Amino acid sequence: MQLYEKTAGELHDMLRKKDCSASEAVESLIERIDAVEGKVHAYLTKTPELARETAKKVDERLAAGEELSPLAGIPIAIKDNICTKGVRTTCASKMLENFVPPYSATVVHKLEHAGTPVLGKLNLDEFAMGSSCENSHFQNTANPHDLGRVPGGSSGGSAAALAAGECTLALGSDTGGSIRQPASYCGVVGLKPTYGSVSRYGLVAFASSLDQIGPMGRSVEDVALLYEAIRGMDERDLTSAQREYEPLHGQLDGGVRGMRLGVPEEYFGPGVEDEVKEAVRAQIGELERSGAVIVPVSLPSTGYALSAYYIISSAEASSNLARYDGVKYGYRSENGSSLEELYLNTRSEGFGDEVKRRIMLGTFVLSSGYFDAYYKRAKILQGRIGQEFASAFDACDAILTPTAPDTAFRFGEHTADPLKMYASDICTVTVNIAGLPAVSVPCGKDKNGLPIGMQIIGRKFSEKTILTVAKAVETLRGGYHSLPQIG
Amino acid sequence: MSKTDYEMVVGLEVHAELSTDTKIYCSCKNSFGSEVNSNCCEVCTGMPGTLPTLNRKVVDYAIKMGHALHCKINNVCKQDRKNYFYPDLPKAYQISQFDIPLCEHGYVDVILDEECHQKRIGVTRIHIEEDAGKLIHDDSFSGSLVDFNRCGVPLIEIVSEPDLRSPQEAKAYLDTIRSILQYLDISDCKMQEGSIRCDVNVSVRKCGSGEFGTRCEMKNVNSFSGAMRAIEYEANRQIEVLESGGTITQETRRWDDHRGQNFLLRSKEDAQDYRYFPEPDLLTIVVPEERVQQLREEIPELPGEKLLRYVKDFGLPYFDANLLCESGEKRALFEEIAAKGGIDLKAAANWLNGDITRILNEKNKTLAESSLSADKLIGMISMIEQGTISNTAAKTVLEEMFWQDKEPSEIVEERGLGQINDDSALQAIVGDVLQKNEKVVMDYKNGKTNALGFLVGQCMRATKGQGNPAALRELLLKQLG
Amino acid sequence: MKIDIEKIARLAKLKIEPDKRGMFETQMEQIVAMVENLPEMSERYVGVDPENPMRLREDEVRPSMRRDELLQNAPKVQAGCVVVPRTVE
Repeated sequence: MQLYEKTAGELHDMLRKKDCSASEAVESLIERIDAVEGKVHAYLTKTPELARETAKKVDERLAAGEELSPLAGIPIAIKDNICTKGVRTTCASKMLENFVPPYSATVVHKLEHAGTPVLGKLNLDEFAMGSSCENSHFQNTANPHDLGRVPGGSSGGSAAALAAGECTLALGSDTGGSIRQPASYCGVVGLKPTYGSVSRYGLVAFASSLDQIGPMGRSVEDVALLYEAIRGMDERDLTSAQREYEPLHGQLDGGVRGMRLGVPEEYFGPGVEDEVKEAVRAQIGELERSGAVIVPVSLPSTGYALSAYYIISSAEASSNLARYDGVKYGYRSENGSSLEELYLNTRSEGFGDEVKRRIMLGTFVLSSGYFDAYYKRAKILQGRIGQEFASAFDACDAILTPTAPDTAFRFGEHTADPLKMYASDICTVTVNIAGLPAVSVPCGKDKNGLPIGMQIIGRKFSEKTILTVAKAVETLRGGYHSLPQIG
Repeated sequence: MSKTDYEMVVGLEVHAELSTDTKIYCSCKNSFGSEVNSNCCEVCTGMPGTLPTLNRKVVDYAIKMGHALHCKINNVCKQDRKNYFYPDLPKAYQISQFDIPLCEHGYVDVILDEECHQKRIGVTRIHIEEDAGKLIHDDSFSGSLVDFNRCGVPLIEIVSEPDLRSPQEAKAYLDTIRSILQYLDISDCKMQEGSIRCDVNVSVRKCGSGEFGTRCEMKNVNSFSGAMRAIEYEANRQIEVLESGGTITQETRRWDDHRGQNFLLRSKEDAQDYRYFPEPDLLTIVVPEERVQQLREEIPELPGEKLLRYVKDFGLPYFDANLLCESGEKRALFEEIAAKGGIDLKAAANWLNGDITRILNEKNKTLAESSLSADKLIGMISMIEQGTISNTAAKTVLEEMFWQDKEPSEIVEERGLGQINDDSALQAIVGDVLQKNEKVVMDYKNGKTNALGFLVGQCMRATKGQGNPAALRELLLKQLG
Repeated sequence: MKIDIEKIARLAKLKIEPDKRGMFETQMEQIVAMVENLPEMSERYVGVDPENPMRLREDEVRPSMRRDELLQNAPKVQAGCVVVPRTVE
């Protein structure tokens, strides 16, 4: 087994025992990227020199006998909507093609502090709007399980890089399922943390009240490890929560015996493919046999969640993306001489179609005469969805659903029909609307050998519970699986 | 019909920059006149991924203003985004407050004239928001330059009810708002630096009509006197339109103070759709009740009440009281003198508004930098009242004790400024003066009574200003028969 | 529901090319039709959540960003300022 195939936990043990150096780990990853990136196209920017430099420092500290943080020397890659000082941050948009932030996101500072070598920046749907990475201005990222298929999105670059062994850990962001759905499509683990547990400072905003940065990895323990490193109150993000967090890494082996696991029928409707439903139900059966108590729960407003999600997220996006006007940074159109023309041409040339659709939808629902009918009602529904979850959690400790209604689809399959693409989010958006944590963990494969993910939803700040369930699923499935053959 | 058949209805929106140390949503310095783009960071220039953090002091200051204007304080409130594109607004939205302002439903009593007639003006709301940057236009250059220094400077917007009925009332209201801001020490109120600005809403209606006419809003009103001109102009414009059979349409107009005219900026149809919605990067503002009360207790006596007290309790004329009330230092010193008492307060006010102000202005100094104290001034004025020194001598005493740590009595003694009250000494001087001015004496006897003043002056000169003028006058009259 | 694409695009400062107009119009109508699927609700929207109050920042000055860093991404800079086409004044 090569170093690039190892989990973060394994690498950390090896580093501690001096079975390998951080530099060797980083070199292994860089070689792997060189070998497969031509097929996967996960990276928008590679930073091998930065990674080598960080690894070297870690090795020096190791040699000096210093105690290392669990993430020291573990190669990571970062979704390209998270700001990295001195390294361009594009959001996969022509608009920010040459944007080099003069500041770093809080999570990036935390990684720096931990001594985590950063391999580069990963592809996404433009401004994180999409479910396939096909909305990237620069490139399509391929699913390592089938290069003719999408990796999901918007954190498709993160999921694909992990599945292809092009990084050991990855950061993604999730507004309506953008960590969980690609994790499901690529057979990796992805956690959308409780809203407010991870600082959003430096995450390029899509929908501020729903966005959350989250950890992705090939194992549940890895995801826990990365989550522990990035969570916590940040004085620069007033929506980040001030609270004590419990340790997670190495604390997830409690199993599901006696745990009450809720299953909402609303998530197993006709919009979900049979193979997905079967795989998830089969896994639920396994958990029951392991001692979990399966309880039916009801989340009646689920059918309206997609509407509320698209109204709220697009409204916020229309405002968040208004700043890209060609004045202060980013793309500026060469066409036109007046201020009005500068605005119109810059924004029309700089944004892709999906971003334009969302901006227009958001502008419409906020515009005079429509605000009450759309935005206000969506916010009321948001409150209702939160209450339904709260009641459900009176009866259970975690809720189990499919992560996505389907498995990875072919390039171009949904691009002509935005609504079909939006439907990819039906199982995931409720979690963002209610601000809850949820993890996607692989639970099976379809007839084409494509991964299927199970979503485990918890109460606010109950990451430990849902990761414990996820670890139980992972263990039942025989632990962490080897990388797929690429190509 | 004529102009006098109409009544104007005016409402004002005052924007005041708050004098906090930092900006409203980031820790950059809040200061005027710095080098361009030097007080900026990624937050106030709206770079991707950055988030606002609300300055506690902005909330405190706004609540204080709310208390001063008798508002209901919404201690649970939120902020909203006002969306529009302009190069001086880097995020393309202004963080403001829409449907739940921090303060609302207040009023202020405005003193309208020297007889201290008052009028109560309703205050609709006070909300907090961020200022925009500045555009620099230079004729040598075809484009415009953007300086982001002012982005994120904290503002409060104070919206009045349409209760004002004349440019004079508007001016009195604006002056009152400004002096309250100064009394609370929450804004510099420097018009020339743009730290206080106003938008004006004007409509007209037939006198006696209970309904409001259609109003027009005027932007770019940069001074209080400009506001008076702008209101007068706009009311006349509307009356002319109505008199010539036209109707007023709701629109926004731009005041040009140089030309003394306003111009259409946009009509109602082009009204901006600001698409307000709650700012998702900030949570609910919750100010504990105790804090709201504590801030109420920090409100000092406000200018209106103080002025009325000076007029009523101390018998000061309106003009003098008003002058005193305008300066924090002078009114503090005056209050101290009043508290100690023993002298005529009108005299104290005269000295403060007169010579003391003159000396400070000449030297460009503040009272704090001087050596003046309530005790020194009381000492000096008592000596005048007791006839120990003349007014002229007192001026010398004042000059000397202004910057030096000396008591007035010390100065009088050192410099021999004591007034001559001794009749026999004065008698000799009077005799001497009459002898030397025979022609003037003749004039007096031929009916030129003002010659007496000249003779008193001559006597004062002979005593080097130390003679008691009243006593000299008496003696002169006796001699002249 | 008919959507006034022109008006929305103008508000959003987007220019819709004539050849894409039809597509956007149809898609927007479909999307709006989808999001209109909301139930009747009697609850009131308040917009504030006093249970979750915001921390406030202390009024303490911190260093600003160096101007060269601040403007390093600006498309056009002159005299320490960002340049835009002349605004009406």
